[in-house]
Amino acid sequence: MDTNTSFPSLEKFIAEYAACLMGAGVHTSRVVRNTRRIGEAFERDVKLTVFHKSIIVTIADPQTGKSHNEIADIPALPISFTYNSELSALSWEAYDKHLSLEILKEKFNAIVKAPHIHPLLVLLLASLANASFCRLFGGDLYSICIVYSATFTGLFLKQQMQKHKINVYITFIASAFVASLLASTALIFEHTTAELALSTSVLFLVPGVPLINGVIDIVEGYILIGYTRLTEAALLITSIAIGLSFTLLLVKDNLI
Amino acid sequence: MIVDIILDGFFAALAGIGFGSISDPPLRAFKMIAILAAIGHALRFSLMSFSGFDISTASFFGALVIGFGSLLLGKKVYCPMTVLYIPALLPMIPGRYAYNTVFSLIMLMQSLNDPEKLHNYLEKMVSNGLVTVTVIFLLAVGATLPMMLFPHKAFSLTRHEQKS
Repeated sequence: MDTNTSFPSLEKFIAEYAACLMGAGVHTSRVVRNTRRIGEAFERDVKLTVFHKSIIVTIADPQTGKSHNEIADIPALPISFTYNSELSALSWEAYDKHLSLEILKEKFNAIVKAPHIHPLLVLLLASLANASFCRLFGGDLYSICIVYSATFTGLFLKQQMQKHKINVYITFIASAFVASLLASTALIFEHTTAELALSTSVLFLVPGVPLINGVIDIVEGYILIGYTRLTEAALLITSIAIGLSFTLLLVKDNLI
Repeated sequence: MIVDIILDGFFAALAGIGFGSISDPPLRAFKMIAILAAIGHALRFSLMSFSGFDISTASFFGALVIGFGSLLLGKKVYCPMTVLYIPALLPMIPGRYAYNTVFSLIMLMQSLNDPEKLHNYLEKMVSNGLVTVTVIFLLAVGATLPMMLFPHKAFSLTRHEQKS
């Protein structure tokens, strides 16, 4: 019989911590390292088996030789670099300062519950980003302004659809279609770089995080999960292409 | 020439900050993301415009600099490398080539009965698609290389100095 009552709750916490990191879009080796570090702080040996939708955590107590398994579902969280940085720092803090489980849980909850960047600010910044992108490719002032408004609308649609938990592929197709359709208004003006406006308008949707995490995972030996991430990214990119295609099919005669 | 490079860096920094904001980075990371995005993109721009590098090699070097930069700057703001370099890499995504790939595919479907056009669009689709995939792959590898070269340094960026 397990007399150590804190053991199951420690185990649950470690599994929750690992699942939260995976859900927030952290590459696998960092999740494994951080989780093991927390285990070491409590003198437990932690082993992880990571899948795309769930994670198996095996925690062994080297002194008693007992081990427990915990399986956690990986939540579909929005990508958050804040979770990535703060939860990584938390694992070092637990390791360096030997925090008690209660304090650790408190700090974890404080990080998870902290507010995200305001969606409106994200809208403004991301639209500005896409407009600068258009400028980088050599777009003129008309195209830049059109891309700004197209991105704003497209991203707003994406945020709203995500809020209502609509299927992610449908969200991407619809957002890409709306953004590119609005950008195609650049065709009305003569002598503008309309094609550039069209091509940049959907780039705010590119799933950069799973793409790069996928490559990192593959080169670090987590090949299975790396390919899973790349498959996910490829599906999202295909969705963007489908949304863009609807627009292109509508306006293609003006583009050739 | 200098103005072009600075403008390029400036707009890349804006793009990096904006695309980064979608992924919810900690506020203290924004400054570093902007610096890295500007340096990386301006380097790629210079290599391509003045030294005759092709887009994939230039992207690789841009990403490499961003990767090393994130290793140095990450310690200052206690952020893991990926938090800084993923948003900084995004302005280098070859959007034009990706767009051309999709456009050529659509036009290819419209010209199945015209062998000459079909050939033309097929060629465009394959070459643009290859450039897109290669550049994205090299961007990821270039930025990750410093992490593989200095694993111990890279893995303790979020560790606060112990007060002993």
